[in-house]
Amino acid sequence: MKQSLSKKLWLLLVALFTAAILVACGDDTDGENADSDGGEDASGGETTDIIAWAWDQNFNIAALNLANEYYENEDFNMEIVENAQDDIVQKLNTGLSSGTMKGMPNIVLIEDQRAQSFLQSYPDAFYPIGDYFNTEDFAEYKIAPTSLDGKQYGLPFDTGATGFFYRTDYLEEAGYTHDDLVNITWAQFVDIAKDVKEKTGHPMLALDPNDLGILRVMMQTTGTWYTTEDGKINLVDNEPLKLALQHYKELMSNDLVHLVSDWSQYLAAFNSGDVASVPAGNWIAPSIEAEASQSGLWKVAPTPRLDMEGAANASNQGGSSWYVLNIDGKEAAAEFLGKTFGSNSEFYQELLTEVGAIGTYKPASEGDAYQYENEYFGGQKVIYEISQWMEEIPQVDYGMNTYGIEDILSAEIQQYLDGKSLEDMLADAQAQAENQFK
Amino acid sequence: MDSILRIIKRNTLFFKIFVVMVISIIMVSLLITYSSIRMSSNLFIDTFSITNSKIMDQITEQFDEFTESTVSASLEVDTNGTIKQALLENHQTAIDKYSLYYDMKYEMNRIYAEVDPNDANMIIMNKQNDIFNMNYIKWPVQADQLVNHEIITRMENNPDQMIYQFEDSEVTNHVPMIIISKALTLQNGYIYGYLFFSLTEKDLRDFYESYTSEGNNVLLLTPKGDIISSNQQNLIGESSPELLDYAQSFEGKELEYRNAEVFGQQFTLLSQYIPSLDIYLINLIDQKVVSNNLVDANEIIFISIAIVGISVLLTFLILRRMTVSISTLVHQISDMARYQFTKPLKETGGYETRKIAKAFNYMLNELQDYVQILMNTQEKQRKAELEALQHQINPHFIYNTLASIKFMIKQEKKETASNTIDSFIALIQNSLSNIDETITVEQELENLKNYVQINQARYGDRIRVNYLIAPDCLSLTIPKLVLQPFIENAFFHAFTKKKTGYIQILIAQKQDKLICEIIDNGDGMVPNRLENNIVKSKGKRQLFSGIGVKNVHERIQLLYGKSYGVTITSEPGKGTNVVITLPAKN
Repeated sequence: MKQSLSKKLWLLLVALFTAAILVACGDDTDGENADSDGGEDASGGETTDIIAWAWDQNFNIAALNLANEYYENEDFNMEIVENAQDDIVQKLNTGLSSGTMKGMPNIVLIEDQRAQSFLQSYPDAFYPIGDYFNTEDFAEYKIAPTSLDGKQYGLPFDTGATGFFYRTDYLEEAGYTHDDLVNITWAQFVDIAKDVKEKTGHPMLALDPNDLGILRVMMQTTGTWYTTEDGKINLVDNEPLKLALQHYKELMSNDLVHLVSDWSQYLAAFNSGDVASVPAGNWIAPSIEAEASQSGLWKVAPTPRLDMEGAANASNQGGSSWYVLNIDGKEAAAEFLGKTFGSNSEFYQELLTEVGAIGTYKPASEGDAYQYENEYFGGQKVIYEISQWMEEIPQVDYGMNTYGIEDILSAEIQQYLDGKSLEDMLADAQAQAENQFK
Repeated sequence: MDSILRIIKRNTLFFKIFVVMVISIIMVSLLITYSSIRMSSNLFIDTFSITNSKIMDQITEQFDEFTESTVSASLEVDTNGTIKQALLENHQTAIDKYSLYYDMKYEMNRIYAEVDPNDANMIIMNKQNDIFNMNYIKWPVQADQLVNHEIITRMENNPDQMIYQFEDSEVTNHVPMIIISKALTLQNGYIYGYLFFSLTEKDLRDFYESYTSEGNNVLLLTPKGDIISSNQQNLIGESSPELLDYAQSFEGKELEYRNAEVFGQQFTLLSQYIPSLDIYLINLIDQKVVSNNLVDANEIIFISIAIVGISVLLTFLILRRMTVSISTLVHQISDMARYQFTKPLKETGGYETRKIAKAFNYMLNELQDYVQILMNTQEKQRKAELEALQHQINPHFIYNTLASIKFMIKQEKKETASNTIDSFIALIQNSLSNIDETITVEQELENLKNYVQINQARYGDRIRVNYLIAPDCLSLTIPKLVLQPFIENAFFHAFTKKKTGYIQILIAQKQDKLICEIIDNGDGMVPNRLENNIVKSKGKRQLFSGIGVKNVHERIQLLYGKSYGVTITSEPGKGTNVVITLPAKN
């Protein structure tokens, strides 16, 4: 009896030791499993690292940061990478055309005027996010550029409604009051620029020769574009474009322009107090406000119109929308956008007051923030006024070749400025564009 | 304490072997554990360092590729006629500038594609402070910041060289970056513009960061000892001359790696000089961290402990089983004397102990058998001796008796002489011819009477003898010559002072015992002559036969056992009383 008991004890001890060793080894393998699980999570599951690409520190990136603060999800971790817009466009083209999607972000900001070219060129690269928000909540003019074949790919962000931001001190010195600047034409704008240059020595505006945004702003006041609604290149007989180009040449040849070669120089041009005005999309306002020393010296007037029939004192420039790429983490990214930019009115109110960004989310357009009197602009209700102009913007179909045409046009404009006739130059550009976008 | 000591003493064998075994098991496993951990870490560090030096080569190659791309980009800028012309022309009007801006951007876009994959930035500035920045995010610099910077003077002093420098100051908005600059010169030496490439420390880190891990760090060190880039970001900007010493010690030697003590810690250090950037690429490996990640010492130690535990337990159990049986065996053997070698050992325990116990018990049995045989032989010998004795008649007795009879005849006491000769004949007849060992009481009585008659004839009848015999005793048997020695004793020793007296012989049956008493009223004996109530033998020759008083007692005990025998009581001056106890036998 005693012997058999000790035998049992012995076996038990051996069993215990074996079990202990197995457990120890088991722990290790568990640990490895946990690690690899973590790895999978990072690419597709719960604790997600999301990368977002955007430009404009003062506006788009500020908005994205604010949204991240509003998003209550501990598992969500977003890294925001600032890139120049051209850089984003180039990197997206490189990455998407290679098809590997390596190094691509989860969320990317794309300008509405470019969106269709991406959506049509890389139909599978973007993730339809129509299920994450209600498209009817957004301004209708934002839906067409952000969707394709009935599928909603972009979450509409800011309105590109433009304004004529100007330095009150310089304009007053030149003999102009606010009322003199309301609802003017571009021809009047050029005249005012000449006066300002003559009386204050300051150029009227800053321009990058490689960005013809100002032409588009002028053109859209009449509701025309480089292309027609059925996609045909529309340069030769485009009267609004001709008029815009004439104004453009006049600004140049009279030295009314401060030329810049990149965005930081563009910002420096008005932050340093060099130029007298900034006719641009309302998203420029936060960058103007970034220079605190000029507080109270700025005001905003409606965009000048082309002196043609049916032209409105309202235009559009560079409104953009958020897109989700079809890679791991897309659900988390879409969820984030849907919960913030897609449905949160409170967030939009703060976006207005904190960032100064005017969204296109209709339920948020009635809030108190719209009546906000901006001290920087001398107590002007900037947001309210821009939202009024927004409704007057003549609608155009941007098509998918806007920037392609513009590359051709900017080369031709060189020659136009050097003395080539307007008709010849447009005819050449038309021919080139038709060849290229057949 | 005492009990523990006793336990240890009882189990000395066990404890000795056990302690030796435990110590050796622990020593062996300690040594094996230590050497296996050491060997695996050394092997690991070796292979790790070799791998890392390959990685260093790769990183160096990447750096070289980058510098090559900047060199070829700068060559293209240098030789690009459009750029040269655009920069040289004096632009007064906006339209002039417009084409400059357009042309510059157009040409630079093409050239920039060469350095762009490394996230480097390219900037060109002309003498009129027009600045063309390909990626303002990477270095948002304004012309007025650059114009008065020492970077320009440095370029002007070395117009033919590409200048590499690390900047962390106002001009870079305190973003650490490497700036590669080159003056754009005409053949006559006129400087018409400045070319810059910049690479932020963050992008520089991408060159090597994927090769780093915890405890495996990469640093970039300038020849002044400043750390300009590292995956350990807290080190950036620090100066470490000791690190520089170590890095320079690699130069001109075929060293794979060496040990170094920097930042108050021991590291394995690999270093490579990158001439194109004029920096040292240094790889610091924290052996402990790295090998801990890959060589799990805890597991090895745990396994060793488990093995030691199991072996000690097994040793304990097996040893205990073996030594406990041996110990019990030893105890049984040492107890042996107490049980007079009659108690056999228990045959339990292991095979060996069982065998030993068996052999021991066998030996014990044999021993007992021999002792028995020896005792039997001795008894037989004694018996033979006694038998021989009882057949002897002392020749002096015969001689003396015959001499007495001769005197009787000379004195003409014919009657007495005749009676004495009759008694003498009967006595000798009974003693010598009767070969039976036992005789009846009646016969013994006859012999006594004859003996007494002879003695009285010789020495006169001053000592009288009375016989008081119970009639029922006459037919009982007793050993021959049991009573005679005591009568003889009384005759010759009891009456040396007193000249007259009597001897009484009483024989009676008491239960199953026959009691014979010989009582005299003679001198008696002093107590020291008595021992155990038996007369001390003085080796004195017996007068009649070979059987003495002492022999009687031995003989009776030999024949009938311990409960029978002779007891003698005596008092000086009063006489002696001898009691002989025998079994009542027919």
